[in-house]
Amino acid sequence: MTVSVDLDNRPSLSFYLSVGLVAGSIIALQIGIMRVFSVGSWAHFGSLVVSLAMFGFGLTSAVMCVGKGWFERHWQGAVKGALLAFGPLMVVCNLAAQQVPFNAIFLISDPMQKWRLLANFVLYFLPFLAGALYLGVVFLKAQKTFSRVYFADLVGSGLCGLSVLLAMYVFKPDDLIMAPLLLWLAGGVLWFVALADRRGIAAIVGVAVLSAAVHYAAPPLLGIPKLAVSDYKGVSYARKFPDAVRTYERASPFGYLEVYSSSYLHFAPGQSDNAAFNVPKMPSNAYLGLYIDSEGPSGIIKDLPADETPYFRYLPMFYPYLLKKDPNTFVVQFGGGISTAVALKSGSKHVTVAEGNPALLTAFREDKGLRAFTGDVLNNPKVTVIDFDGRLYVAGTRNRYDIIDLSLADSAGLSSPGGFSIVEKYSYTREAMSAYMRALAPGGILSVTLWNKEEPPKSVLKLYATMVAAARDVAKDKGGSGDIANDFYVVSSYLSTATVLYKRGGFTPAEIAQLNAHTKAMSFDEIYAPGLKVDEAPLPQILQDYRDQFFFAGTPADPTAPSDKEPNDKPPPGAPGATDAKADGTPPAPVVPATVLGRLAWHYLINGGWQEKVADQYVFDTRILTNHQPYFAAYIKVGDLLKFTDRLELVQDEWGYLLLWATLGIATVFALTLVLFPVVFGWRTIFSRYPGKVGTLTYFLCLGLGYIIVEVGMISHFILALSNATVSASVLITGMLVFSGIGSFFSERYLDRARSFMPKVFLAIFLILVFYAFTIDYALDWIGTLPYVLRILLCLLLIFPPAFLMGFPMPTAMTTLGRLGKDHMFLWAWGINGCFSVIGAALVPIVATSFGLPAVVLVGAVAYLVALPAFFSVLKPLQPQAIGVARPATA
Amino acid sequence: MKRRTFVSGTAAVAAAGVVSTAWAASIKPYSWDLNPPTDTRDNFIAWGTARGEDPTFLGQRWDRFQALLRNKDIWGPTTIRAFLLTPREEFASVNPAIYKRAYEHNFLDIGYGVTMSGPHLQGRMTNVIDVKRGEKVLEIGTGSGVQAAYIANLTENTYTIEIIAPLAARTRALYDKLIDKGYTEYKHIKTKQADGYYGWEQAAPFDKIIVTCGIDHVPPPLLQQLKAGGLMVIPVGPPGAQRVLKVSKTQGADGSITTSREDIYGGKIVPFVPFTKLDGDKIAGTHNR
Repeated sequence: MTVSVDLDNRPSLSFYLSVGLVAGSIIALQIGIMRVFSVGSWAHFGSLVVSLAMFGFGLTSAVMCVGKGWFERHWQGAVKGALLAFGPLMVVCNLAAQQVPFNAIFLISDPMQKWRLLANFVLYFLPFLAGALYLGVVFLKAQKTFSRVYFADLVGSGLCGLSVLLAMYVFKPDDLIMAPLLLWLAGGVLWFVALADRRGIAAIVGVAVLSAAVHYAAPPLLGIPKLAVSDYKGVSYARKFPDAVRTYERASPFGYLEVYSSSYLHFAPGQSDNAAFNVPKMPSNAYLGLYIDSEGPSGIIKDLPADETPYFRYLPMFYPYLLKKDPNTFVVQFGGGISTAVALKSGSKHVTVAEGNPALLTAFREDKGLRAFTGDVLNNPKVTVIDFDGRLYVAGTRNRYDIIDLSLADSAGLSSPGGFSIVEKYSYTREAMSAYMRALAPGGILSVTLWNKEEPPKSVLKLYATMVAAARDVAKDKGGSGDIANDFYVVSSYLSTATVLYKRGGFTPAEIAQLNAHTKAMSFDEIYAPGLKVDEAPLPQILQDYRDQFFFAGTPADPTAPSDKEPNDKPPPGAPGATDAKADGTPPAPVVPATVLGRLAWHYLINGGWQEKVADQYVFDTRILTNHQPYFAAYIKVGDLLKFTDRLELVQDEWGYLLLWATLGIATVFALTLVLFPVVFGWRTIFSRYPGKVGTLTYFLCLGLGYIIVEVGMISHFILALSNATVSASVLITGMLVFSGIGSFFSERYLDRARSFMPKVFLAIFLILVFYAFTIDYALDWIGTLPYVLRILLCLLLIFPPAFLMGFPMPTAMTTLGRLGKDHMFLWAWGINGCFSVIGAALVPIVATSFGLPAVVLVGAVAYLVALPAFFSVLKPLQPQAIGVARPATA
Repeated sequence: MKRRTFVSGTAAVAAAGVVSTAWAASIKPYSWDLNPPTDTRDNFIAWGTARGEDPTFLGQRWDRFQALLRNKDIWGPTTIRAFLLTPREEFASVNPAIYKRAYEHNFLDIGYGVTMSGPHLQGRMTNVIDVKRGEKVLEIGTGSGVQAAYIANLTENTYTIEIIAPLAARTRALYDKLIDKGYTEYKHIKTKQADGYYGWEQAAPFDKIIVTCGIDHVPPPLLQQLKAGGLMVIPVGPPGAQRVLKVSKTQGADGSITTSREDIYGGKIVPFVPFTKLDGDKIAGTHNR
C-alpha cells in the first residue's frame, strides 16, 4: 500500500534524509573502492576505475533525457528498482571484481590483463548506475524544488563522506563495503517510509540482510577472497615466509597498518657493501616489517645491544654523527624508527622526532610487542615526540638543532612495479628544506638521504636542485654573499641511496677530509665536496646517451640484417668490440654515468649553468619541489608524452602519471559521447524548442569542471596545514559539500532575482578563488602550527566563503530549467555537470604537476567567470511549439 | 590466502596435464659434446628435432636467438650453446597461460608473485658473468628454474636457492622430471629451499653469484661468500624495467678488500630492455621509428 506523493510540494523529512543517505552511500562506495584498490593493488588504478564509474551519472542522464516520458510514467517503479538493486550490486560486483584481479605490471606484456581491467570497470560501474538512476529520477520529479533536494544531496554526501572515514576505524578494508551498504539501507528504508510502503521496507531489509550474508558467507564457503591482494604487493611476500607472524594489525583512516615478524626480513637501507668485511657482529632478526595498505616493508628496528651497534656506521644516515658529538637532534619523520635509533645510539643528547601519521604513533606507543621490541623508544626520556609533520614543527619552533635528519621516508625504495601515485611530498619542498636549514644551530648539519634506485636518475636530481635553491634562499636572508659552495657535501651509492649534507656556516677543510675518509671506507661515491674538480667534457655525451636510451632513431630492425644496424647498442664488456682494457693492459675504472651526471649536476648547480646546460637538455624533468609543485613524479616532459606511447615498458615507474593522461583522454571521449548523445538523438525533436543550447552546455560544463577542480585542488593545498592526505580529503569533501548544500538551500530565496543576483555570485566566487590561489599558502602555513582541532576548524572556516557561494549556481540553474519546463535540458544539464566533474578531477593532477597548485585554483576560478555570461542562456524561456513563431533575437 | 592456494593448485593440476602429455617423449641425454648448429634455422630445427624436441618451440627458440644476437644480449659461443640447448617452454609449462609464450621477450607470471625474466635479460646476465666450466656459481632466487638451467650448460657446479617453499618444491620436481626425460644437464644443479640472504655457506666460496630478487642492500653474507676477484650481479627495479647492478670484489696488495658497483655494461648506457616482440614467427621491433 503506497500513498501518492508530490515531490514538488513539501515532501516529508524522510524523503530528504533518504536522498542525503543514498547520495552519501554513493560517495562512501567511491571511497570504499579506492581503499580496496589501495590495499589490494594500486591506488591510481582505483582512481581510474572510480572516475570512469562516475559516468554512471552521465549514462543515466543521457538515457533519461531520451526516454523522459517513460521515466515520468514509471518513476516510482524505477526508483524502487534502482534502490533494491543498488545495495546487492555493491556487494556482488565488488566480490566479483576481486575474482578477476588485474595485475598492473603485466598490463603491457599480457593481453589478458586488458580484459581483466575492463571487467573491473564494468563491475564497478554497475552499482553507480543504480545509484545514479535513483538520484536522476528523484531530481526529475522534484525539479521545481531542486535547491532543497540538492541541499539534501550535498549535505548527505558531505556528512556520509566523513562517516566513512570513521567507519575505517571499525571495518577492515575487506569489509569496508559495509559502510555504503548500511547508508544505502538507511536511505532505502526512509524512502519507503516516506511513501508509507511497508512492503518496500520489508523488501529492502531482506535484500540488505541477504547482501551482507553474501559478503560474509560466500568467500569462506566458495574459497574466494573478499579482497584479493596482488601477489606483487609487499605484504604478499611477507605472508609467504614460512615463519611469518602478524604481530600487529590496525585499520584506520590513516591506512591499514600491519606488522610482520619473520627471520626472512632483512633491512639495512643503503648499507655500505664494506659492512660485509668489517662489521664484527651483524645484527640478526633485528627488524620487523611494517606495511601500510599492503605496501612496504619499512623496517622497524630492534633496540640493538651495544655489540651490534657498530653496524649503524655503515648506514648513510650516520654521516652527520661523524662530525657532531653529543648533538641535539631532530628527526623529521619517525617512520619505522631507524633514524631515531641511529640518533640515540650515536650519542645524541636529546632527540626530537616528528611523525605525521597518528596510527604509527599509536602503534609504537601502545602495542606491548612493539614497545618491547623497540625498547619503548617513543617513551625514552631522551626522546620528545611531535605528533604532526616535522616540516611544520620546524617552521614554527624557536628550538635549534645540531643535526636535522630526513632519511628514506619512503618504505621499500623508489621503485614500484605498478608505478607511483602522484602524491604531495611537502617534506621535500624548497620551503621545507629552507625551514630545516634555518632551524639549525650555528654549525648544525642537515642530512637528507633519498633512494637512488632510478637509472636514469630522476628523484635525486630534483632533490639536489631543490636543496641548492633552498640554501640560496637561506643565504640571502642572512644578507651574506650568497655563496653556498662550502655548505654542501654529497655522496651516493649506485642504485642504492644518495645523501646530501648541508652545514650551516660551511664545512671546514678538516671536516671535508674526515668525511672523505669515511666515504672511501664505505666504498660510497663522492658526488660533491667544496673544491671537487669535475671534468665538464662528458656532459653532452651523457645527456645524449640518456636521451638515446629512450628515443634513439634508426633504421627498422630487419631480422635478416647484420647486427651493426642496431643504433647506440654498445657492446657489453667481454663482447667483441668492447674495450675492456687500456693500452697498457690495465682494466678501465668503472664509469657509471649516473654517478658522473650527479657530479656534473652539483658542479653546475653550485657554479651556475644548471638550467641551460643540464636541466633543459636532460631526458626527464628535474624541476625543483616547491609547495606549489610538491611532486617526486611527472618526470616525463609533456612534449615527450606521445613519444613514449609505444615504449611504455621503459617507464613503468611513470605509469601513475601516464595513467592520469589516459584517464583524462578516456574521460573526455566518454563525456563528450554521453553529453552529445541526447543532442544528436533529439536535435530535431527534443531539443528543437530549446534556445541557448551552447550556452547551457557551457554553463554546466563550467560548473562541473570548476567545482571539482577547486575541491580536488584544495585537498592538495590543505595537506600543507593538515599534514595528512586522508584528513585533508575528508575535511575538504565534507566542508565543501555541506557548505555548498547550505548555499544551495539559501539560493532558493534569490531565485526570482537570479538575473541580477547571480552575476554578483559568480564574480565573488572568481575573486575569492583568485585571492586564495595566491595567498592561501601563507594562511595554511600558519594554521599548520596550531593545535589539531583548531587547525580543522580554521580550515573549515577558510573554505566556507567560496564553498557557500559555489552552492548557488547549480540549483539556481536547475530549478530555473525545471520551472521553465525545460525538462530534457534539466536532465541533460545534470549529465553534463556529472561528466565534466570526471574530466575536472582527472585534470587537476595534470595541471598541478605541470603548472602548480595555484594554477589549479585559477582554472577553477576562470570556469566560474566563464559561467557568468553563459548563465543568461539558461534563463531563456522555452520556444512556443507553433511553427513560424520568430525565435528570440538573442538565440 | 585461500585464493592463492586455489590458484596455485589449479596451475599445478593444469601443469600436470601439460606434463603428462609432453613427458611421453624422450630426449637424447646431455653431454658436453652436444653442439647445436648455428648456421641456419632449418639445420637447428632438424638437429633439435633429432634430440627429441618440439619443432615449433625450436623455431621460436631460433628466432629469439637471432634477436638476442642482434641486440647483443648474447655473443659468447658457450652462452649461445646454453641458450640453444635450454627448453624455455618446459619452464613456462608451470602456468598454462604462459606456456606458449615462453620465447616472448616479456617477463611472465609464474605464480607466487614471481616472474620468469625475459630471454634478453637472462641472456645478457648469463653472458656477462662469463661462467667457465668448473666454476662455482650461486643463484639466489630459483623461480621458474630457467636461469640455473642456462648455467647448468656452462658448469657442473650450479647452486640455486629459493625462499618460497612451494615454489622451490615445484621447480625441484620440474628439474627431476626433466632429468628423467633426458635433460641430464640439470643434474649439475643443486637446489635448496632457504633464505638466500645467507647464501650457501657449506658450498662457498663462489666464483660468480647471480641474485634475481631485490632488497634494500646487497646481503653481506653473499659478499663474504664471493671469492676475491669474483663478480655478483643483481637486478634492481621493477620487473621488466630492471637495471643490473654488478658488484666486483677485489683484494688489494695489502690484503684489504674493496667493492665497486657498476652497471653490467661496464657503465655504458644502452637500451636495456629489448624492444622486439615475437609476432607470429616474425620479430617486430617496437622502437623503429
